[in-house]
Amino acid sequence: MPQLVPFFFVNQVVFAFVILTVLIYTFTKFILPRFVRIFISRIYINKL
Amino acid sequence: MATRSAALKIDWAKVSTSLGLRGQTATSLQAFKKRNDDARRKVQVLSEQPQTVDFAHYRGVLKNQAIVDEIEKHFKSFKPATYDVARQLKAIDAFEAQAVQNAEQTKGKVEAELQNLQKTLENIETARPFEDLTVDEVASAQPEIDEKTASLVSKGKWMPPGYKERFGDLSAV
Repeated sequence: MPQLVPFFFVNQVVFAFVILTVLIYTFTKFILPRFVRIFISRIYINKL
Repeated sequence: MATRSAALKIDWAKVSTSLGLRGQTATSLQAFKKRNDDARRKVQVLSEQPQTVDFAHYRGVLKNQAIVDEIEKHFKSFKPATYDVARQLKAIDAFEAQAVQNAEQTKGKVEAELQNLQKTLENIETARPFEDLTVDEVASAQPEIDEKTASLVSKGKWMPPGYKERFGDLSAV
């Protein structure tokens, strides 16, 4: 059983936090701002 | 005489129609024409009247020769009043120069505006439809979009205000 490997849960916790951090960073810095930009552009060209 | 012949040469009806005059300008032109006509008619009427007096006849008819002599003296010494129109002419010249300058200025302005409009028209005609535009092009045309995006993101807002009300919400949750 893999749970019996020494430091398996430490590994889980470390990777969970690392992945979460990377995800949050990429979403807030790159992906979601792009959506916001698209939305604002749509509002703008509909106002023209 | 020169001014009179110039006035005669003007085709008044043509002036107001060909220049497209309207409103105050047209009415003042009409008034000016009326004044000109009146003055000309008056001159015509007055010049038709006899301008010489037969004093010998009056001397024969009247007994009082002294009065005839006096009247003849007055008649000979009479000179029509002359008006100095140089100042008015100068004022008119100055006004004309001003008007021409104004017209030139307006012409320049109108030409600049026309060029601007032509450019705008070209821009409109060569513009691509909205379907072919990319967000980058829209944002580069309107830098405000990027500023607004940055401010919304820095506040942690991921949906611009008024978007859902306007375009609906496609999210499943």
